[in-house]
Amino acid sequence: MAYPQPHPRFSVLSTSSLSSAEHLSPGSSSRFSLPSAPSINTASTPKPGTRPNIYDRPLNKTRNAEVSSAAFAFLFSEIVQYTQKRVSGINDLERRLNTLGYRIGTRVLELMAWRNESASKAPKRETRFLPALMSIHTHVWRAVFGKPADAIEKSVENADEYMIIDNDPPITRNISVPRDMSSLSCSSFTAGIVEAVLDGLGFSARVTAHNTPTEQFPNRTTILIKLEKSVLEREEALKT
Amino acid sequence: MSHHLFLLSPSDTPLYSLTHYSSKPSQATSSPLASNLPNLSNWSSSAFAGTFNALSGATSASQAQQAQGGAARIGGGQDRRHVIQMIANASLDAIEEVMRKDSVMYLKSVDKFNEWTVSAFVTPGNMKFVLLHESRNDDGIKAFFNDVWELYVKTMLNPFHTAHTPIRSPVFDARVRASAKKYL
Repeated sequence: MAYPQPHPRFSVLSTSSLSSAEHLSPGSSSRFSLPSAPSINTASTPKPGTRPNIYDRPLNKTRNAEVSSAAFAFLFSEIVQYTQKRVSGINDLERRLNTLGYRIGTRVLELMAWRNESASKAPKRETRFLPALMSIHTHVWRAVFGKPADAIEKSVENADEYMIIDNDPPITRNISVPRDMSSLSCSSFTAGIVEAVLDGLGFSARVTAHNTPTEQFPNRTTILIKLEKSVLEREEALKT
Repeated sequence: MSHHLFLLSPSDTPLYSLTHYSSKPSQATSSPLASNLPNLSNWSSSAFAGTFNALSGATSASQAQQAQGGAARIGGGQDRRHVIQMIANASLDAIEEVMRKDSVMYLKSVDKFNEWTVSAFVTPGNMKFVLLHESRNDDGIKAFFNDVWELYVKTMLNPFHTAHTPIRSPVFDARVRASAKKYL
């Protein structure tokens, strides 16, 4: 080729694979921190058949790994767009995002518990609601977003409602919701994660996300947890 | 001496089961049926007769064998398998009762039935690992459960795994067997 490549990024589609191979290799960018993932670039793996098995990969290797927030924002925007094409309204969209988050939540719960407890002599689960809520507020948030949530509140009117408040949720930082959809909160995804964690621990609940902007924090989001009656009754019974 | 492991999903669907024969010497005299246990795919018509015999105690099982002849030998193995599944299922009630009050994941000796003791392990996501064993071996069982837990977490991180997918991975099976050999 006589003319220079316009930009190394576009060379992925070009026939000259020399520069594209370099660029595709995950090793060249230190921002994507998935070191244990099998490389897409086949040059670095000896044979296609000898991919490391999932059971060979240590679970603690990616403990402190972080994903670039730009990459995540891109992925999440695609998720929202993909979902929005397939739904009939805002409620449906929120429900779907919740379902997607639920799949994450079940895994977050098990992995987090394994990382925290497997080394201890007698691994423990949370069996009471308030400690479980505290652990979601701090541990789950830290595992997923890298920082604890900002507040926990208990509803004054309804005994079965609790709220987790995040002043600036990282996953919706780059999302601007159109005015005609103003009731939509993309944090439904987070609500799904919370719902899965509570469900796994045995506290069935309906979890929804709501925008509650304040002057100081225009992105402030409330994750509303509405517990099922049976959970409240059990908590009452265990109190004594 | 044999061990029986069951992995049950939160909705009590069995996802994986394993029968392990320990090479370690057993204190109790093994029952005559222990020799012809698993890997039998044919179902005997006399299944229930044997089940009741086994329920009433392993000692009476030899009589059933004599009475029913050769066919009962095959049926005997199957029956024992049914009984073991039934004991494991019955112990779920005991497990659910204990796990609400007690926050530890490893519940040792939650249930007893004839010669079997049932130990369980409940993960935070409400997966239950149920192990039937004949002798006391708390530390070994705990270490074994810990290994199974790690393997299970790795399994469930796979996006294609759901809470109701049976675990069929040969690697998972091999790892669990290796761990059972080591600790049980």
